[in-house]
Amino acid sequence: MKSRGHLYFSAFLLLVSGFAIVSGSQWPFKTGFFPLAVAIPLSILILVHVYLESFGAPEISKGPAVEAAFSGEVPPEVARRRAITIFSWIAGFILFVCLIGFPLTVPLFIFSYLKYQSRASLLQSFVLTAVTWCAFYLLFQRLVHIQFEAGAIQTWLGL
Amino acid sequence: MLDAFIDGLFLVLQWKAFSLMLVGMGLGFCVGLLPGIGGAATLALMIPFVFKMNPAEAFAFLLGMHAVAATTGDITSILFGVPGEGLSAATVVDGYPMAKNGEAGRALGAALMSSLVGALIGAVALALAIPIVRPLVLTFGSPELFLLSMIGIACITSLSGLSVRGQIRGFAMGLFGLLLSTIGQERQSGSIRFDMGLMYLWEGLDLVPVLVGVFAIPELVDLAVRGTSIAGDRRAENLNHGVMEGIKDTFRHFWLVFRCSAVGVFVGIMPGAGGGVAQWMAYAHAVQSAADSKDRERFGKGDVRGVLGPGAANNSKEGGDLVPTIAFGVPGSGAMAILLGGFMIMGLVPGPDMLSKHLAVTYSMVWTLVIANIITVVLSLAVLNQLAKVTYIRGSLIIPFVLLLVFVGSYTANGQLADLIVTFFFGVLGYFMVLLGWPRPPLVLGFVLGKLVETYLFISVSRYGFAWLTHPIVVVLTLLMVFVIVYPFVREKPAWAGGGD
Repeated sequence: MKSRGHLYFSAFLLLVSGFAIVSGSQWPFKTGFFPLAVAIPLSILILVHVYLESFGAPEISKGPAVEAAFSGEVPPEVARRRAITIFSWIAGFILFVCLIGFPLTVPLFIFSYLKYQSRASLLQSFVLTAVTWCAFYLLFQRLVHIQFEAGAIQTWLGL
Repeated sequence: MLDAFIDGLFLVLQWKAFSLMLVGMGLGFCVGLLPGIGGAATLALMIPFVFKMNPAEAFAFLLGMHAVAATTGDITSILFGVPGEGLSAATVVDGYPMAKNGEAGRALGAALMSSLVGALIGAVALALAIPIVRPLVLTFGSPELFLLSMIGIACITSLSGLSVRGQIRGFAMGLFGLLLSTIGQERQSGSIRFDMGLMYLWEGLDLVPVLVGVFAIPELVDLAVRGTSIAGDRRAENLNHGVMEGIKDTFRHFWLVFRCSAVGVFVGIMPGAGGGVAQWMAYAHAVQSAADSKDRERFGKGDVRGVLGPGAANNSKEGGDLVPTIAFGVPGSGAMAILLGGFMIMGLVPGPDMLSKHLAVTYSMVWTLVIANIITVVLSLAVLNQLAKVTYIRGSLIIPFVLLLVFVGSYTANGQLADLIVTFFFGVLGYFMVLLGWPRPPLVLGFVLGKLVETYLFISVSRYGFAWLTHPIVVVLTLLMVFVIVYPFVREKPAWAGGGD
C-alpha cells in the first residue's frame, strides 16, 4: 500500500518536473536556466526512486529519518474517515470565506464545528464563539486593521 | 570603548526608552504567537512611529519587538505544531512531538531558555565582532554564499534516512522546494514563470501559506484523527517540574546550545543567507551530534535537543544579523533591511560612524537584545505552566481555533483569498508527505532559499563563468557539503551496509 503510495507521489513529482522541463526549455537562457538546473536532477532522482520501488529489494535498512509520523493508534479505516471529515470542514471553511467573507464565516464556522463536530453544549459553543469573534474583531480588524475581502455574495448584492 | 558600552546600557535604561522597549516587546509577543504576521512585517508597520523618537528609543522599541517575536514564535510551534514565525518551523519537528508526549512544559522551558542563551551569545558576538568582522564578510561573494545555502539544504536532506531511497526522497524534496521557489517573476530578466495564467502567482508563492499548510494542517488532521487531546491519553505531567526540566536541559546540553548559537551567529553575519538556514543548520547539527544511530532515532519523535538547537540559533542569529547591518549597511535579512530604514529615519549612516561617533547607540542595541530577551523569558516562564495545560484540552475543542489562526495567518501574508487555497493545497500535500514518509523540512528549506540560491548562482555564473567553482573557499565549502551528506552514511555503515538498498 505504502509502496503504491510512493509510486503515486513519484508520478505527481515526475509530472511537475516534466512540466518544468518542457516550460523551461522554451524560455530564454536567463529565465529557464535555474528551473532546468533543478527540474532535470529532480526527474532523474524520481525515476531512480520509481525503479527502486518497482524492481528493487524491499526497503529494509531505513535508518533514522527526522520527520514526524502520524499516530498508528487508530484503525486505518477510521483514520481515513476522520481525515476526510476534517479536510471537508477545512474546505467548507474556505468555501464560506469566499462566499460570505471572513467576518461572517468565523462565528459561523466556530459555532458549527463546536456544536456538531466537537459535540460541545449549546452554551459552551455560544460562549466560545462569542469570545473568538470578539478577539478576532478586536485584534485583526480594530488593532491590526487587516482588510478582509468581501465575500462573493456581498459583492454580488453590492453590499 | 568600555565607556560607550556602559553608556549604551544607560541609554536603554532611560525611562522613555525602557517603556518603549516594553511596548515593543508586548507587540512582538503577540506577533510571534500569530502565524503569518512576521517580525519583519511588524517592523515595517512600526517604522512610521519612530519619527519622533531619538535613536536609542527607536532601536529599543524596534529591536525589543523583533527580538521577542523570534522567541515567542516557538510557543505555538510547540503547543500546536503551527510555526508562529516563519523561522520557527524547525522547532516544530521535535517540539510538537514533545507536546504530544506530554512534555509541553519541558519543551517550552527548553525553547525559551535556549533562546535566551542564544540571544546572549548573539549579543556578545555582536559586541565583539564589529571591529573584526569586515574581512570575513568581504571574503564571501556570491559563489561562497551560494555554497553556504546549498550546505544548509544538504544538512537537512542528509537527515532523511540512511537508505538510498530515504536520501533520494530527501534530495527530491529539497529540489522540489527549489522548483516551487521559481514560480513567479524571475529577478534578473523580469519574465514570469509558471504563472498558470493567474496573476496571483506573478509574485510567487508566499512563504507563510506554504509553511503553515505543510506543517500545521497535517498536525491538525492527526489531532482530529486521534480524537484525543494534543498530549493524548497521557497523564498530565507535573508541568512546573517539566518547565524546570527544560531549563535544566539547556545547561545539561550547554555545549550543544553554544555550538548551535555559533551557527546562528555565523549565518546571521553572512548577508542574505537567511534566518531559516540558521535554524535548520542548527537542527541538523543537533541531530548529527547524536552519539549513535539509536540516539539519532529519537529526533523527530520528541527529543529536547531538537528544540534546544533551533531555539538557540534562532535568537543568536539576531545579533549576527546586526553585524553587517551596523558595520557596512548591508542588511543580513529582510527584517534588518527594514531596520536599516530606521537608521535612515534617525539620520544615522551605518558604517564607520556607528563604530566611532555613535558607538554608544550601537551598544544600546546589544543591551536591548539582552534585556528584552531576559524580560521575555522571565515573564514567559511565569505563564508557561498555564500555556502547557492547553495540550490537555480535548483536541476537538482546540481544532477550530487553531484552524482559524492558521487561515487568518495565511491570509495576512498577502491579503488574498487565494492564499487560503494555497494553504489548503500544501496542507493536503504535507498530509500525504507525512503519511508516505517523504520529509517536509527539505521542501521548506529549498523553498525558503530558492530565490537566494538562484540569484547567487546567476551572479556567480555571469561574473566568473564556471571559474568560480575553483575559488578556494568554494572548494572548501563544496567539500564540507559532501562531508555533510556522506558523514551519516560513514558513521552508520554497519547499519545500512547489509541492507537491501
